[in-house]
Amino acid sequence: MKLSLDTEDGRPIYVQIVDEVRRGLARGTLGPDDPLPSVRELASNLRINPRTVMQAYAELEREGVVYVQRGKGTFVSPHVRPNETERPRLAREVARRALRDARRSGLELDELLDALKKLGRDSGPDGKDGGAE
Amino acid sequence: MKTSPMAPTLPVNLGEGPFALSADNVVKRYGSVTALDGLDLKVPFGAVYVLVGPNGAGKTTLLRVLMNLERSSDGQAAVLGIDARQDGPRVRAQIGYVPEEHSLGYPWMKVGRLLDLCSAYHPTWDPEITARLAAELEINPARRCGQLSKGTVRRVQLLLALAHRPPVLLLDEPTDGLDHVARDRMLEFLAEYLVDTPTTALISTHRVYEIERLVDHVGVIREGRLLGQMPLEELRRGLRRYSADIPEGWEPEEWEMEGMVALRPGLGRSIECTVWGEEERVVADFAVAGANVRESAPLSVDEAATTLLSTREVS
Repeated sequence: MKLSLDTEDGRPIYVQIVDEVRRGLARGTLGPDDPLPSVRELASNLRINPRTVMQAYAELEREGVVYVQRGKGTFVSPHVRPNETERPRLAREVARRALRDARRSGLELDELLDALKKLGRDSGPDGKDGGAE
Repeated sequence: MKTSPMAPTLPVNLGEGPFALSADNVVKRYGSVTALDGLDLKVPFGAVYVLVGPNGAGKTTLLRVLMNLERSSDGQAAVLGIDARQDGPRVRAQIGYVPEEHSLGYPWMKVGRLLDLCSAYHPTWDPEITARLAAELEINPARRCGQLSKGTVRRVQLLLALAHRPPVLLLDEPTDGLDHVARDRMLEFLAEYLVDTPTTALISTHRVYEIERLVDHVGVIREGRLLGQMPLEELRRGLRRYSADIPEGWEPEEWEMEGMVALRPGLGRSIECTVWGEEERVVADFAVAGANVRESAPLSVDEAATTLLSTREVS
């Protein structure tokens, strides 16, 4: 699993890991019974405190997203339903960030929605912004 | 602002313990100079505790007192429950230490010989970790200790600190002198070490940003006294930066709020403040003053340290 962190991000690192796993599920790069990296591996790769990884995995386990098999590692739960849970959750997360950014800029919800709709209509299938200003 | 704001009252209590490292009312005087002035500091078992403070705050002295390399003038310092003054050698056997100064002590000795010598002193010396660290940190055993660059000395010191697999690490400016790659390697090793060996680490550094992701506790000291110590989450919760819109004709310079540690004007009628306190209370205080908080965010440990150390001592 490729995973990167953003130090400038306001979210705690363990939340970033949790979100990254959810993103993997939503995109389909992570599926039922796929293994997550070991605590040692992830802590070492990201140069972070192992406790942070454990905290993230514990949170995912509490949410039923992963299960732990003693001595073997942490795996994605066979019961995850990315389309019903992870994708809406991710959408909410993206929306929350956009909304926060809009409020910071003093924009109203309607203005943000209008801009999003226009951008969505104008952009090509590759997701690139096709709308010329 | 004319004068810098006063230091806020930060939490110091980390609970009842037991603690892996503790300093109780430690005093260290050098003649008329007081380096540690009744310092209280607690490091919970398994914590990675970063100690920040200005030059001369007593960070190095504290580490040395914990190892009984300096004998404290008063108070008690203990490591894993062992009194440092009573049983210095037993305490030092439990500790991996990176000293502040870049010196290995024996300039004529070859690095390989130094490693052999140190391994003889430690029954827990791990040849595997030694070989791996030596290879990955590109430590040449044939070189003489006195001819090494500052960065290479640091690498050897790190190897010496970790090779006997101690349960306690005391690291004084561990990244000082390391180049980018060596620093990155060191962080990788430390992360792995924390998994492989149950460890408590106390790290003193001015470059908090370099080790920020490994840290879970923060202590701030100034003039030989503890300003505050707390788990990282508590710092992120308690110390936040607020952006607020302010009414016209408002003079933020004359405004005072409980826990405010920094204030600077933003563009036009907006300000940016760093405040210590519960977010709800702070937002309410802004509202009472007629300002509207647009957003608040936690600070990095490095920013937090800079901000807190820029405050004025409470007289």
